[in-house]
Amino acid sequence: VYLLTESSKLMISDIDFQDSIHVLGFSDELNKSLLQLYLDNRKEIRSILGELAPRLPSYHSLEWRLDVQLASRSLRQQIKPAVTMKLHLNQNEDQTAQVLQTDPATLLHLIQQLEQALGEMKMNHCRRIVRNIEITLVLSY
Amino acid sequence: RLVRLAPASASAPHLLLRLLTPCLLVLSFRSETPNVFHFDVFVGKIAFKGRAAAFGTVCWGLASKFVISNSFILDDPDLKDIDPTILKHCHAAAATCILEAGKQKADISAISTCLEDCKLDKERIEQFCTEYQKNKDALEILLGSIGRSPLHITDVSWRLEYQIKNNQLHKTYQPSYLVTLNVENSDSGSHPDVCFSCTMEQLQDLVGKLKDAAKSLERATQM
Repeated sequence: VYLLTESSKLMISDIDFQDSIHVLGFSDELNKSLLQLYLDNRKEIRSILGELAPRLPSYHSLEWRLDVQLASRSLRQQIKPAVTMKLHLNQNEDQTAQVLQTDPATLLHLIQQLEQALGEMKMNHCRRIVRNIEITLVLSY
Repeated sequence: RLVRLAPASASAPHLLLRLLTPCLLVLSFRSETPNVFHFDVFVGKIAFKGRAAAFGTVCWGLASKFVISNSFILDDPDLKDIDPTILKHCHAAAATCILEAGKQKADISAISTCLEDCKLDKERIEQFCTEYQKNKDALEILLGSIGRSPLHITDVSWRLEYQIKNNQLHKTYQPSYLVTLNVENSDSGSHPDVCFSCTMEQLQDLVGKLKDAAKSLERATQM
């Protein structure tokens, strides 16, 4: 088990795997079946290990509602628009929902900021880094 | 003056208003200083019986709460000749009057009529109304901000990261966004921020939904 998890974690190539188990002195047939076992289960092992990593609650979905406050105990005759939202997050297989509210001006600000965030992925800087990392990935095989 | 007490289910402030309304209609005292006008607050003097006794304590508590800070009235050099109790009563009554006017969004004519019924002279009414007019907007903003609401989002910050490895898994190569929503509580002021991570597709989904909300807001304003 340890052999498989460590190999999957490091995502080593076939040749490296073969070299590593060769030192154990098993028969060739055993080595071949171990290699096959490794290659077959690698993806699944990696996805399970991915779940173990530390992470923040992840986004699941968002519900929203438009409200207008017309009066309150301390002030009659108001017109106060607001957007009420329910943010669903996943944290280690628990779903949490949080109710939040915002005013129209902040909503537009949020949209602008998050659109900028999305735009960053498409910027040259980001693209270059991702490409460089992927090239390193390919070269390491 | 005797007032019919509201039924036991009425809220304390409502009760207080009903008790103070006749106070606004009472004759004002002859004032010794031209800068101060008096009302007399009867809350402390009405005998509350039976179940209403509890209301009595609450009402008096509320009335004395209207004297937000005793020190600034009692320390004022212009007012030091006046008996402090009367000063407190006046302040409480004036504050109630102003708050009620603000709450109902009363216009100048309604306030003047009310004050005229209390037999205040024209000069004082004008002074009161001018001061009220000057601070009316600030008062309305303040009154409007009182009240409960869900956590209010004030700002958002984001971080784009590209994960290379973690201790469980090497070579992960996954871009993700970390979004932090700064939130504020209407009661206590600050609150721990809401943080979450999401992929690019999830962020696109989130932004799409926010844009829908904004569009429906626009449509609502055009109706």
